[in-house]
Amino acid sequence: MAELLGTFEQAVLLAVLRLGADAYGRAILNRVHESLQRSVSAGSVYTTLDRLEARGLVFSKLAEGTPTRGGRARRYYNVAVAGMRALSNTHRTLTTMWGGVKLPLQVNP
Amino acid sequence: MERLLAERDRETIVGDLREEYAASILPNLGRLRADSWYLRQALSFVPRFFSERGPTGEILLCVSLVTLACACWLAAMEGLLRHPGYVTRVGVAISIAVISLAVIVVRMLHLEARSERWLWTAAVALIGIGGHAFLRNARAAHFEGFVLLISLIFVLQGLLMLIFLGRSGERESRSLPT
Repeated sequence: MAELLGTFEQAVLLAVLRLGADAYGRAILNRVHESLQRSVSAGSVYTTLDRLEARGLVFSKLAEGTPTRGGRARRYYNVAVAGMRALSNTHRTLTTMWGGVKLPLQVNP
Repeated sequence: MERLLAERDRETIVGDLREEYAASILPNLGRLRADSWYLRQALSFVPRFFSERGPTGEILLCVSLVTLACACWLAAMEGLLRHPGYVTRVGVAISIAVISLAVIVVRMLHLEARSERWLWTAAVALIGIGGHAFLRNARAAHFEGFVLLISLIFVLQGLLMLIFLGRSGERESRSLPT
């Protein structure tokens, strides 16, 4: 069965995808914040990234730190093939689900 | 902050926060609001800290908090009522409070390996105190419900500590080079 992603997981994966080579923790967090248009906690983004990595949907590599980071390394993320597939499956499922529904939804009094 | 994170993430996440703090938060918000921002960021990792510890660690932490409250309450009540021999009982209650507080600190700060020996002793002592109180209460002319409850909590905390310490020992032996 195709893997479906939750809204937050989609937002994080899409942020990684859009940021490309610049996808590290805080940049991903800021992009997720922009796309969801609500405040997002750092803990929830990093936890989601860990979970996605454990499921093989993203992979990461360490890069050298800079003086502003106190020399601490940066972890850059990339979307794995399984992650692309999961995003595509989720998009296809949602599109099928919403197919034929006229927007905006009319609420009958 | 580093204590809240797994070893793998300590360098990278703290680095990310420091970088943003120095590059955009501090210049835009000023010292006080920037520090408050950093504190909020650190606090957002608390749920993750608990979820990474596993169920025994979480239960132990919760039971330790209850035990701490019970011990403080016992010490306060004994101090107020001043029945014969109250000084010893206040001392025991304070010791239990110190053990509970220490367990909470140990859990929060990842200090298991460094404090293991005295924690084993404290766990056995808690089981002993709880068991003794339970038996005395069961044999007493006036059965006290709260003594039953508190004695069981002490025994539970001691058992959880033993399970937790056993698991820590296993983890440590698995990570040692062969």
